[in-house]
Amino acid sequence: MSVIEFLKDLPSYDANNFTLFNTDHGIRNCSKRPSIYLPTKDIPSEQIIVTQKTNILLRYLHQQWEKKNNNSPKKRDQTHIEQNGEDSQQRKRPCLSSQIN
Amino acid sequence: MSYHYVVTAQKQTSVTACVTGNFTSPTDLNLLVAKVSRLEMYLVTPEGLRPMKEVGLYGKVAKMKLFRPPYENKDLVFILTARYNAMILEWRTGANGDLEVVTRAHGNVSDRIGKPSENGILVVIDPQARVIGLRLYDGLFKIIPLEKDSAELKAASLRLEELNVYDVEFLHGCANPTLILIHQDTNGRHIKTREIGLRDKDFIKVSWKQDNVETEASILIPVPSPLGGAIVIGQESIVYHDGQSYVAVAPPQIKMTPINCYCRVDSRGLRYLAGDIAGRLFMLLLELHEKMDGTQAVKDLKVELLGDIPIPECMTYLDNGVVFIGSRLGDSALVRLSSSRDDTHQYVLPMETFTSLAPIVDMCVVDLERQGQSQLITCSGAFKMGSLRIIRNGIGIQEQASIDLPGIKGMWPLTLAPDSAHHDTLVLSFVGQTRVLALNGEEVEETEIKGFLSDRQTFFTGNVCYDQLIQVTDEGVRLAGRAGAGWCVTSQWRAPAALSVVACARSRLVCAAGPRLYLLLLHEAAIELKAEVCMEEEVACLDLGPGEEQALLGVGLWTDISVRVLRLPDMTPLHTEKLYGEIIPRSLIISVLEGVCYLLCALGDGSMFYFTVDQKTGVLSNKKKVTLGTQPTVLRTFRSLSTTNIFACSDRPTVIFSSNHKLVFSNVNLKEVTHMCSLNAQAYPDSLALATDSTVTIGTIDEIQKLHIRTVPLGETPRRIAYQEASQTFAVITMRVEKLEWGGGEAGRALDHELHNLLILDHHTFEVLHSHQLMSSELAMSLMSCRLGDDPAHYYAVGTAILNPEEPEPKKGRILLFHWSEGKLVQVAEKEIKGGCYSLVEFNGKLLAAINSTVRLFEWTSDKELRLECSHFNNIVALYLKAKGDFILVGDLMRSMSLLQYKQMEGSFEEIARDYSPNWMTAVEILDDDTFLGAENSFNLFVCQKDSAATTDEDRQQMGYAGQFHLGDMVNVMRAGSLVAPHHHADSAAPTHRPVLLATVHGAIFLVAQISQELFEFLQQVEERLSHCIKSVGRIPHAFWRSFNTDIKTEPAEGFVDGDLIETFLDLNRDVQHDIVKGLQIDEGSGMMRDAKIDDLIKIVEDLTRIH
Repeated sequence: MSVIEFLKDLPSYDANNFTLFNTDHGIRNCSKRPSIYLPTKDIPSEQIIVTQKTNILLRYLHQQWEKKNNNSPKKRDQTHIEQNGEDSQQRKRPCLSSQIN
Repeated sequence: MSYHYVVTAQKQTSVTACVTGNFTSPTDLNLLVAKVSRLEMYLVTPEGLRPMKEVGLYGKVAKMKLFRPPYENKDLVFILTARYNAMILEWRTGANGDLEVVTRAHGNVSDRIGKPSENGILVVIDPQARVIGLRLYDGLFKIIPLEKDSAELKAASLRLEELNVYDVEFLHGCANPTLILIHQDTNGRHIKTREIGLRDKDFIKVSWKQDNVETEASILIPVPSPLGGAIVIGQESIVYHDGQSYVAVAPPQIKMTPINCYCRVDSRGLRYLAGDIAGRLFMLLLELHEKMDGTQAVKDLKVELLGDIPIPECMTYLDNGVVFIGSRLGDSALVRLSSSRDDTHQYVLPMETFTSLAPIVDMCVVDLERQGQSQLITCSGAFKMGSLRIIRNGIGIQEQASIDLPGIKGMWPLTLAPDSAHHDTLVLSFVGQTRVLALNGEEVEETEIKGFLSDRQTFFTGNVCYDQLIQVTDEGVRLAGRAGAGWCVTSQWRAPAALSVVACARSRLVCAAGPRLYLLLLHEAAIELKAEVCMEEEVACLDLGPGEEQALLGVGLWTDISVRVLRLPDMTPLHTEKLYGEIIPRSLIISVLEGVCYLLCALGDGSMFYFTVDQKTGVLSNKKKVTLGTQPTVLRTFRSLSTTNIFACSDRPTVIFSSNHKLVFSNVNLKEVTHMCSLNAQAYPDSLALATDSTVTIGTIDEIQKLHIRTVPLGETPRRIAYQEASQTFAVITMRVEKLEWGGGEAGRALDHELHNLLILDHHTFEVLHSHQLMSSELAMSLMSCRLGDDPAHYYAVGTAILNPEEPEPKKGRILLFHWSEGKLVQVAEKEIKGGCYSLVEFNGKLLAAINSTVRLFEWTSDKELRLECSHFNNIVALYLKAKGDFILVGDLMRSMSLLQYKQMEGSFEEIARDYSPNWMTAVEILDDDTFLGAENSFNLFVCQKDSAATTDEDRQQMGYAGQFHLGDMVNVMRAGSLVAPHHHADSAAPTHRPVLLATVHGAIFLVAQISQELFEFLQQVEERLSHCIKSVGRIPHAFWRSFNTDIKTEPAEGFVDGDLIETFLDLNRDVQHDIVKGLQIDEGSGMMRDAKIDDLIKIVEDLTRIH
């Protein structure tokens, strides 16, 4: 029967736990109360939980924009431009110089 | 303005959450229980649960989850409060061995915008402790990645497409933290998984989903690796799903009532326990089979009923088959799972209960014993856990050990070991015999003392001068001295006639045989008869007072029923006091308490006279009489915490002590005590031994003036209670849910049907004398006891509503009048009303009722009919009524409070003032003619005042705010009164007035009392200093916690002093107390201010603690 299987070898962390629990006098009523913890010593908190204040939509748009910039050909163009900055200047310069000339 | 002191008289008892883990050390197994705004840490031991520490939070625990980061060797706990304060706490043993709670992380995770989810807050923690997930607002999911080394934990909101989420969990064994959730759309409920990318802080993908699971699926149980996947619990079926395989069962046992909580039993995740809202415990077992590739997979789910438990809110498996069941509808419990079924065929054995008053729906304050000390009778608990609780100020005895021994006639402790400060022996006397118990550590075994008679009843024994023992029996007196390791009789005095009573001091003894009194002096190995006198009548009881050779002797006599005071050594009569009546004195004590000498004499009927004694002249004065019980009472003195107290053994055991030079009578939480003695043994220090008819109990006594709770189980939900002194009964409205099966067969769905009853209970025994069932579909809403018009009879009035499911609010109802006399309940009158009667109040001999949006006054005609006199219409729903003189305070569903005046001449109501704020009320009370206390449904209190002196009509009609305060619990009922007799704090250093008791959903009782402006301003300074000095666990500021907070506004608390904070002053050490007092000014009483001393403040705070 599955109940017997279920109740067989129930997990035990310490086999002694609850062995001296006395139920001879019926069900016990717990009247012992824990003492109250009253801290006056300042133990600094290690970490502070902060919430990102950015609006979720703004964050989404930022993310999309960054993604676009990272992945789209335009971005590649820009990097291309940056990398070949001198080239573009060179490309423009003849035009300018030709005008001046 | 008016000023108020608010303090907890009984802490919240409902359990919000519980977890088992290794919190206090890597090896300790702990249970952590959250009770609204308090955490209780327990240690699991062989003897059971041992309480360790209670921690108060400045917030209500909404969710509590344990987790263990990979770099930790014990568990941490994450807590989120209802006002979105998040914290990670660690329990640690400090330098001096004390347990301390470290706030490892804290912060507020609320958003400025967002719609709080209707399904409540959900908190989940990744099994590998990488991230905490929070579902606070619809359409958003907040994550807190747990990074070990950063100073900030950055929480981020993710957009969650699923709006209506019922449950969410993290799956086990996933490379990225992966959520599984149940959500609902127009097509039904579905489960879906979502992987979280921690770097991008976004959902990456949906790894698998299952559309259209059961329509009522509400709980997800993630299954640990290597199985993985999750169990989905619905109302009729349970499903296991891991993306590939799908196993479903529809066990018939779970169909009737929904499962609402579960706990995992083994770490592999094959065994679970589940509880349903009817308080039944089920097992859930995953059966495995081996697949082709050698891995294991779930083959089947087995569900079986194990037995009955309290209706659970949460549960957790502790160890060796023991489970903690937390409830918010009644007592929580510890239960043991056992394969050996008892005679009730249950696999669940209850072990221990944890008293809970929650939810308190109604209460009444009564003084049943007429001792000036009120008791509260509350309607507590719900459904099968419904009960009445009798709450009174009393003293608790904590049982340490008990021995079954019937028929005890007397008990005394002895010290047999030489030069020992502890008792090591307990002598018990019975009719015709005496038995000696040796206390070796915690063990108790029977022994003998050589030289003692064991075949006679001992009247007295004790350690006396010259290291001797004395035994007094009816034969006479025996003195025993040391003889080697044992004892032997050194001297004897044979009484000329059989002795009956005795009183003994260290070196002298007075005993009586019939009317003859003998004074014996005790010497080394010798007894000297010093004096002998004959009284007019036989001696019934006697006691020796203080004063050595010239001590006073109090004697109570048979026949003439008198008390005599005599003076040693000649036993010269000093004073005679006739008690009158026919009841014989049974026990007498002369004792000095707080410097005042008292003579107390208990009679055979449980009553007691007490006098103050002039120690010089022996004159008795200030005669007073109290009733302690109904049986002959035995008085014994005992010492506790270095003060002398008196124990009155009877069927209502009482501890008598002196407080502020007044005798205070405090009940003891024991049913019956026949004899007692103090006991200070090595294993039982500062204890008491108490005998009942059948057992001896050794226990410690707790501090004086603790609330003591007695339970009267009803088995159905109590809704309203009223007391009627004339008929010596209580009336209680109860509600029972009956299941009606419709149609039957597969389509048959159980329909809940409420049945309401009026019960009449005896006011002493709480036995149900009569039960009257109302019509089906009629709900009893209100109840009172009243006397109407010139009719001398006392009636119980019941207000009802007749429910029609199609109507938004009741259109019909009744007011019923019942008369209880000679064991019969007679319905005297019935009045049909156009709506539900939410509240009933007796008003100048008339009946005042709140019916839907109206307040109506009915008069009682000579034909015994209720006739409508006048009405007032200016409410949405008038829910609560309180009356004082001609004034009526009305609490509205959503329009706060208003004040009506009854114009006697015109026979009409006039609305004279109103609070125009949109407060949703839960209770109201009149504090004085101008001041009104209200509680609203965001757990705040506020005080309104009418300003009769205002110049314009408009100003007069508007009630002004005189105070607001966040209580942190929903108040269901307010009643003027206090649990402490008013004379107990007559000359207090902190006078309070007009106390009101408040009872809440979570089982707490609060006290609100008025204080003077001077005291308020003084206490406010103390409060301010304490709030800085006491470091809040979780770093929530005290001012934030107590600020008046609703959906629409948050304002600082005002007009209230937080008594809970003030009273912590007494628990601080002297240095901290000194820091707090420094610079405080106190009024000397003459208007002159001076620097306050620590003792001034201690006196004030102690007096404040005495009001509850």
